[in-house]
Amino acid sequence: MLGISIFNGLVYGSLLIICASGLAMIYGLRRVVNFAHGALYMLGAYIGYTLSLYLNIWFALLLAPLAMGMIGVLLDKAVFRPLQERDPLSVLLVTFGLLLVIEDLVRAFWGRGSLSIEVPALLADSIELFGNPTPLYRLAVIGLGVGSMVLIWAWLRFSRTGLYVRAASTDPLTTAMMGVNTERVNALVVGVGTALAGLAGVAAAPMLSLAPSMGADVLVDSFVVVVIGGLGSLGGALISAILLGQVQSFGTIYLPGLSAVLPFLMMIAILIWRPSGLAGNRV
Amino acid sequence: MNTLLSFDKVNAYYGNAHILHDFSIDVKEGESLALIGRNGVGKTTFVNALLGQAKVRSGSIRLGRKESARWHPYMPAKEGVMVVPQGRCIIANLSVEENLLLGAATGRKGYWTVPKIYGLFPILRERAHTPGTALSGGQQQMLAIGRALMGNPTLMILDEPTEGLAPVIVDQLGDIIRQVNEQGTTILLIEQNLHLVARVSRRYLAVEKGSVIAEGIVDPEQIEQLQQFVVV
Ligand SMILES: Nc1ncnc2c1ncn2[C@@H]1O[C@H](COP(=O)(O)OP(=O)(O)O)[C@@H](O)[C@H]1O
Ligand SMILES: [Mg+2]
Repeated sequence: MLGISIFNGLVYGSLLIICASGLAMIYGLRRVVNFAHGALYMLGAYIGYTLSLYLNIWFALLLAPLAMGMIGVLLDKAVFRPLQERDPLSVLLVTFGLLLVIEDLVRAFWGRGSLSIEVPALLADSIELFGNPTPLYRLAVIGLGVGSMVLIWAWLRFSRTGLYVRAASTDPLTTAMMGVNTERVNALVVGVGTALAGLAGVAAAPMLSLAPSMGADVLVDSFVVVVIGGLGSLGGALISAILLGQVQSFGTIYLPGLSAVLPFLMMIAILIWRPSGLAGNRV
Repeated sequence: MNTLLSFDKVNAYYGNAHILHDFSIDVKEGESLALIGRNGVGKTTFVNALLGQAKVRSGSIRLGRKESARWHPYMPAKEGVMVVPQGRCIIANLSVEENLLLGAATGRKGYWTVPKIYGLFPILRERAHTPGTALSGGQQQMLAIGRALMGNPTLMILDEPTEGLAPVIVDQLGDIIRQVNEQGTTILLIEQNLHLVARVSRRYLAVEKGSVIAEGIVDPEQIEQLQQFVVV
């Protein structure tokens, strides 16, 4: 029982970190609080659904994030960039509007009914792990979470573009002065962040049923993860996603009445302890 | 001689505050020019106009063969103009070496590489992996200069590089700036420290109330004649 709860917490934590790291990156570079991030997660799942019908789930897992990445670049060019001089509150309202538009579009294209994606045949079995039957697909989701984090970390730490991303997240003007086209860096990062939302959505899809409102819970939990982690910090987000995954998993069993407010209680407790989050620094 | 950078009757604003008034300047290839003037006369605004951070409502800015009234902050570097900004602006979450690598973002090839910068400022090699902002003020200034050199500039603009530094370090930096100029990099030094101007520059322009009001040759023997442009 305990083992299963920890395991399920890790699965949810993995999805959260994929989704929340996208949110954190977009905030880190654009300083945009993106309320549409959960809707982008949901859109990724629906695009994955259609791709899995016409091709198969493996293509869906690959192509849905790619498509979302392109949508992200467009989002940056069409919305975030023109609004960059505006005050944060009106940008926040615009992203809230985007959330509503995306949900309506999805209802128009895919209908209101709930849809589902089959678990890929290769991962449909379960194996014994610490004496518990463990679905392979869930195990693979944890692997995906770990893999994405390692890739993002290596990209930021060792690549040239990663260096520009880190620089631009603290001092965009000086970074540009050195000859970095920071607008391009921003578009890339919003693309990557949106692709991560889509990846989390399509990876979550075989474990739940798709509905246009499915982004709401993930959005709230991702915000909690990003705020607890320290705004814009990926390392902090990683730790807080793992924590929140566990809190959610145990909460639904032992404190079912409180499970909706648990993330906030956790956020308040941690922010009292460390007001600027687990990690104070950026990206 | 070729003109590398020229401002022709530039009027620049922050919002509605009119800061530069018919500001004109020509920087010739290979020279070492000083731009002097008191606090608040518009020296940094000149840099900001070049970087597109102050709005140019009339006049034109020409860099090499390109002319425009609206420059983006990343464009001058691509044309070979690197800025050592006032206050140094070392990036806090990057190491010393990463700050240097950032300076090479344009990919312009030339004499300067990381080992060459370490040769010029050995202390930076010792502290290569510490955060850039953990350095002392003088070391941060070396890093800011090294970072600009990494872009292999044809023109390096230094905005009050010696602000707040001890006289020994000022002399040391002055010698290095002169050495860089002798190797062929054009220098535009924005300064109020006339001692440094005497050491580094051969020509000066004096700025007052957002316009260039005087220019001439720097005579190190009679540098005190320029006092009138910098004392309050
Ligand atoms: N961001 C800004 N917005 C409005 N006014 C500014 C800004 N930066 C500087 N100023 C004003 O512009 C004038 C010129 O400033 P600046 O170019 O920084 O002077 P300097 O570099 O010669 O000391 C000053 O009066 C200053 O108060
Ligand atoms: Mg200044």
